[in-house]
Amino acid sequence: MGKVLVITSGKGGVGKTTTTANIGTGLAMLGKKVVVADADIGLRNLDVVMGLENRIVYDIVDVVEKTCRLKQGLIRDKRYEGLYLLPAAQTKDKNAIKPEQMLELCNELKEEFDYVLIDSPAGIEQGFQNSIVGADEAIIVTTPEISAVRDADRVIGLLEARGLHNPKLIVNRLRPEMVKKGDMMNIEDMIDILAIELLGVVPDDESIVISTNRGEPVVTDEAALSGKAFRNISKRILGEEVELMNLEIEDGKLTKIFKILFGK
Amino acid sequence: MKVSGGFAMDYDFISFKGTQDGIYIHIKEGDFNHIKEELDMKLSKFGSFFKGGQIVAFKGMKLSEYEESQLRNIVNDKYKLKVLEEENIQEDNIKETKESGYFQGIEEGMTSFIRTTVRSGQIIQYEGNIVVLGDVNPGGIIEAKGNIVVLGTLRGVAHAGCDGNRNAIVSAYDLKPTQLRIADLIARSPDGEVIKSSRWPEVAKIEGDEVVIETYLPKNNL
Repeated sequence: MGKVLVITSGKGGVGKTTTTANIGTGLAMLGKKVVVADADIGLRNLDVVMGLENRIVYDIVDVVEKTCRLKQGLIRDKRYEGLYLLPAAQTKDKNAIKPEQMLELCNELKEEFDYVLIDSPAGIEQGFQNSIVGADEAIIVTTPEISAVRDADRVIGLLEARGLHNPKLIVNRLRPEMVKKGDMMNIEDMIDILAIELLGVVPDDESIVISTNRGEPVVTDEAALSGKAFRNISKRILGEEVELMNLEIEDGKLTKIFKILFGK
Repeated sequence: MKVSGGFAMDYDFISFKGTQDGIYIHIKEGDFNHIKEELDMKLSKFGSFFKGGQIVAFKGMKLSEYEESQLRNIVNDKYKLKVLEEENIQEDNIKETKESGYFQGIEEGMTSFIRTTVRSGQIIQYEGNIVVLGDVNPGGIIEAKGNIVVLGTLRGVAHAGCDGNRNAIVSAYDLKPTQLRIADLIARSPDGEVIKSSRWPEVAKIEGDEVVIETYLPKNNL
């Protein structure tokens, strides 16, 4: 029996879909059987980020309405054996699925897969409610911005009200040099406010933009720092203890000497 | 008619419009029973006025075959007004469709013209051919029982001959669809290849058991 993880944020544009695609792929790279489901009906994106858009024939609405069998709705990833995508419908809206149907679907998927990742839509309306109804655990994605943290806090409250306790936090798009200068919220500030366990920190990275546009999750990119961050997050989900990586950019030689001399 | 004048006049679905060709009966959207009632009443009042004239067609609200035949009966039988039997391509096509099991009008048949860009999440379905005077963006779907012609760039999904006609084609000025479907076949572009814009319009059709794409050149006409 697998686990259903919902990836949510409240605020839009913080990287839920990118995170879902990367964790899904990351877990599959570690040999797990994974399905990533797009619950953002009407504004689907996950298929594009995974590079599987041109394979869609049936979607999540067809599956819950039983227009097709579950097996027909699942799209097998082109890179990893155990990875599947259940795409959202683009021509319908959030109300096309009822919470009961979603719950049934999650339970069905759980039988087949080790991990079921649900990419939640932004907001806290019907689509969000649907995405959390079958979840066992939640992952909150936020960026180091006050507005995103505020929304994350609201969502954590809503999750707790639904009995989803102890969500995990991913801080996305962190820019270490800005944090250093005091221009960006740092991790401690955010943990202070949200008071939940940190699952990982993903640095702001150009490779994410490149890989997203190519439809290849950055987690497969050995060279990218953000890819490593997602590989670490995937390992932590499996229960491995992985230290938070050092996001600081290598200092120049002069600065190093300066640091040694003055201890700072 | 037993309904009092005041009550019946509350409906205002029916209006008559005279043109060179004859008289059109214009029907506003509404309850069909009320429409029938009103037509009956209006004809009993003014029917003599139209004598010798010719009712050309019903316009406005979409009528089902059954509804239209009911209205025709009132006009024809009860008030002895002539209703023009229109040459209806639609009916011809539908008849052929019923005989063969799928839409036949890909050489000559009913066609819908879409004068806009079809964007993500929009789906255009039609019982015949579809011509899009614009683009079809990724996430947009065109589903036609006949041919599909896009006078712009086709980036979304197109399904021609969607009720089974394997002779249907999809063509576009710039053909780079997410997915192409003709009848029961589905094709997609190969992975990892960026499709270059061809300088020519292209036509997709079924050959053998495969969807093939050909450059449209005036000499190798369809």
